[in-house]
Amino acid sequence: MTPAVLSLADLNLTLIAPELWMTLLACTVLVVDFAFPKIPKPQIAYASMVGMALITLLLGSYAMNGTGGISFGSMFILDPLAIFFKIFILLSTILMTLASIDYLEKASYFRGEYYFLLIFSALGMMFMVSANDFLSLFITLEFSTFGFYILVAYLRDDLKSNEAAIKFFILGALSAGLITYGVSLIYGSTGTVLFEEIAQKHPETSIGLLMGLLFIFIGIGYKLGAAPFHTWVPDVYQGAPTTVTAYLSIVPKAATFGLFLRVAFGTFIGLKADWQWMLVWISILSMTYGNITAIAQKNMKRLLAYSGIAQIGTLLIGMAAGSKMGSESILFYILTYLFANMGAFIVVIIFSNLTQKDDIEDFAGLNRRSPLMAFAMLVFLLSLAGVPPLAGFIGKVYVIAAAVHQDLILLVAVGLINMVISFYYYLIVVKKIYSVEPKDSTPIPISLPLKIALYVSIAGVLLLGIWPKPFINASVAATAVFSDLVLK
Amino acid sequence: MIDDYLLSIILFAPFVGATLLFFVSNQQRDLVKGITVAFSAISLLFSIYLLYHFDTAKGGFQFVQERVWSEALGISFILGVDGIGTPMVLASALLMFCGVFVSWHIADRQKEFYINLLVLGSATMGVYMSLDLFFLFFFYELSVIPMYLFIAIWGRHTKGYKDMSGYVTMGGDSKRDSPAFILNFNKNSKEYAAMKLTLYLSLGAVIALLGILLVYVNSGLNTFNIIAIAEQGALTLGMKEAAFLLIFIGFAPIAAIFPFHSWSPVGYAAAPPAASMMHAGVLKKLGHFTIIRICFYLFPEATVVWMPWVAVLCIINILYGGLVAFLQKDTKFVIGYSSVGHMGYIFLGLASLNMISLTGAVFFLFADAMAMGLLFALAGYIYNQSKTMDIPSLGGLVHRMPFVTFCFVVGAAASFGLPGGMNFVGEIMVFMGAWEVYPIQTILAALGVTITWAYYFRMTRAMFFGDLNPAMAHLKDARGMIDRLPFVLLMFFILFFGIFPGKFITVIEKGISPILMRIETGISATAVAKQPGLKAKAGGDS
Repeated sequence: MTPAVLSLADLNLTLIAPELWMTLLACTVLVVDFAFPKIPKPQIAYASMVGMALITLLLGSYAMNGTGGISFGSMFILDPLAIFFKIFILLSTILMTLASIDYLEKASYFRGEYYFLLIFSALGMMFMVSANDFLSLFITLEFSTFGFYILVAYLRDDLKSNEAAIKFFILGALSAGLITYGVSLIYGSTGTVLFEEIAQKHPETSIGLLMGLLFIFIGIGYKLGAAPFHTWVPDVYQGAPTTVTAYLSIVPKAATFGLFLRVAFGTFIGLKADWQWMLVWISILSMTYGNITAIAQKNMKRLLAYSGIAQIGTLLIGMAAGSKMGSESILFYILTYLFANMGAFIVVIIFSNLTQKDDIEDFAGLNRRSPLMAFAMLVFLLSLAGVPPLAGFIGKVYVIAAAVHQDLILLVAVGLINMVISFYYYLIVVKKIYSVEPKDSTPIPISLPLKIALYVSIAGVLLLGIWPKPFINASVAATAVFSDLVLK
Repeated sequence: MIDDYLLSIILFAPFVGATLLFFVSNQQRDLVKGITVAFSAISLLFSIYLLYHFDTAKGGFQFVQERVWSEALGISFILGVDGIGTPMVLASALLMFCGVFVSWHIADRQKEFYINLLVLGSATMGVYMSLDLFFLFFFYELSVIPMYLFIAIWGRHTKGYKDMSGYVTMGGDSKRDSPAFILNFNKNSKEYAAMKLTLYLSLGAVIALLGILLVYVNSGLNTFNIIAIAEQGALTLGMKEAAFLLIFIGFAPIAAIFPFHSWSPVGYAAAPPAASMMHAGVLKKLGHFTIIRICFYLFPEATVVWMPWVAVLCIINILYGGLVAFLQKDTKFVIGYSSVGHMGYIFLGLASLNMISLTGAVFFLFADAMAMGLLFALAGYIYNQSKTMDIPSLGGLVHRMPFVTFCFVVGAAASFGLPGGMNFVGEIMVFMGAWEVYPIQTILAALGVTITWAYYFRMTRAMFFGDLNPAMAHLKDARGMIDRLPFVLLMFFILFFGIFPGKFITVIEKGISPILMRIETGISATAVAKQPGLKAKAGGDS
């Protein structure tokens, strides 16, 4: 292998422009926050939202013009798949920033850094979905988690927040170690770390390669929080600031799926027979464990954490299908999951901003206190459960149809039964919100930014459920790289 | 012109009404009621128009509309009705309209109640109109959730209910919220009823979904369009049999087939009257309807294989449902179990697979919707006045509410099949058709009719006649147009179409005949397919 020489002339900076702008934005936010302490923090939030919106537009123009390519010695790729996920990351970061403004006004310190760290993590994830070899896979995975380690520990005086951060850090380090080990094994058996070269070599199944694959899958499993690698999820979700939990429960997962798709469907599709069964079982375990454990939860954030494990399991159905349709369905499902899960967390944020509580019991009678929040929660939970005409229904049918195409009947059966189990605990919450009388019936005020975030989420859930065509088409177009994966 | 959008108007009017209601305050009660009445009336009027403009000379699917929803997944939004869907759309619209008036005096969150009702009605009609498997399932699944909300929010606890709010678990939480409480069969809380109903029906739904997806994937057409799959689908016989079984097991629970019936009486008893009416009247019939629409229409060969089993199960429904109804002390439970029993007649009609029995079964679908709607509406009215459904503590109500008594007697008579009511026509047709195929079952089913007579007589006598229970002296009869309208409307339909069933029968026959034709060609195709095998075997022997 000839050593790759990097010269500035070979680098296509157009490809990396969104990331460059994002870096500039992050630094600006940090500097402005330090240099001009008198600027109110919400202004910084709005400014960074505008910045991210502009970068989203830039990416949109890339999608329109078909800009793309590989650069940095094949380490960085920009293709429709990467653009899809980058837009997804930016939009959800904007939404999350909006939902954080109120929460941060109550926090006492580091309010400017919060936005910086959010943008910084988003930047890491944007690099992550563009990773095109195993080294950049490793670096970007760590880069994106870096900001979260701090964000999870953001409530400095809260023991739970600190505990969560330490757990998150230790397991994050473990999974990083596993991934590095896996990469070294793969390098040992194929002689390269570039995704394309590995794919072109059509490597024979060897024990070293399989072990490497296994380690990488387990490492990614930790990042996704899929069972049996989920142990950090509930504690971290409960301990972290709710805004961070909301972000953590969606965006890193989505970005990891972007990366995972590239690795499994792109690089190692030749070994599909070897990894498919792993994903089938991880998926079955995640769904079943997540859903059954969710039944027993008493805290809303923990409930959403376990339901999140189950949702990841459902997404893995699409991964296990290992087909073009499977990849489309994952992209679409992530979109539906964004609005429904983010929305549910926004309701929790509004609620705990006022009451400082987040047990399920505290939500009893929410309908009397705020009909809008109660209705929103109904819509989000039912969408997570997969009830039409909401987004989650289309997502679930899509994912399951992809698996039926591949004759994964056991997986499909478990997935469908889990759908019914999930009805149980989502409906229990709905029942509490609607049919129990509240202990304290003071109305809950909703501030403007949170109201906007709430309406956007409701609109997203309804739009994706009633008129999903453009989003399905976008998913189909973004996964065009996998179009040579035959149906069976 | 209007015919091109007729089904859309009927389907979406309640949705539009529900959306408008979101923007109205709960305090503006008149406006809330006005919007609900207006939009449900639109559906009702246009569905009457639909019945009389259904072209019986032409038959087939009419008023078809198609919009592509997603090319990538092969989903189109296709509406269309045949002779089976048309009466059921009317029944749904009618019961929804009556439900609005039955719920006129609800004090707690009436707006949300009406939103739920409109969504429920609309979803039901959506199933009866959909010619696309995806949307059929979409509307079916959509109809399950409003029922949960109805029972959990506006429902009542049923017989044998124990309030466990005083009991506390080790962790200090109320036992009422534990899964053990909600899933406990002995403590009939409304939470239990609601959850049981939802879980039964959702479990059925996902099984059916698996069947639907198998058809979608294996037909090789990348479409959910029912007509296209029926005409060009390349399904093997084994696949058809498997899909039939999955879809049947998936959708039959909502039709309360034995042994998947136990959600139904407790669900109806716990639900508010309008919800019981809708559910016993038209939602339950979704089970039979989807079986005809999907199983019979798409898998005629498999129908012949599986239906004899149904002919056995349906007798258990009739006899078991009837006998259990006999033992009940709660009015709504009696009606609920009677509804379980009636489902058996319809399944018998379906299983017999001939013109007269199938027509009778579909006719019965409509007839039972009217009778159940009327009885649940009246039971709800009496409950609202007396706050009890316990039959022994009622009694002599005729002295206080003669009009309600009159309606109840009409409803009960219609329900046990007195000539003049609609049920009689359906029953007699089912029996005539079934006699040719399953004589033993027909005799047993006819016995079931006697049981039905017995428990309806017993209940009517105990509730309405004899001496007035002094505790019930404060009851008031239904007065004024609002209270009486739903009863009068339903009685009108029962009597009018019971005496002049001709219009319905010609419409229904138009829907049945293509399906029967497919089943007959299916039988002969299977016979032809099997013959070469026989020949080859014979050749091998010689």
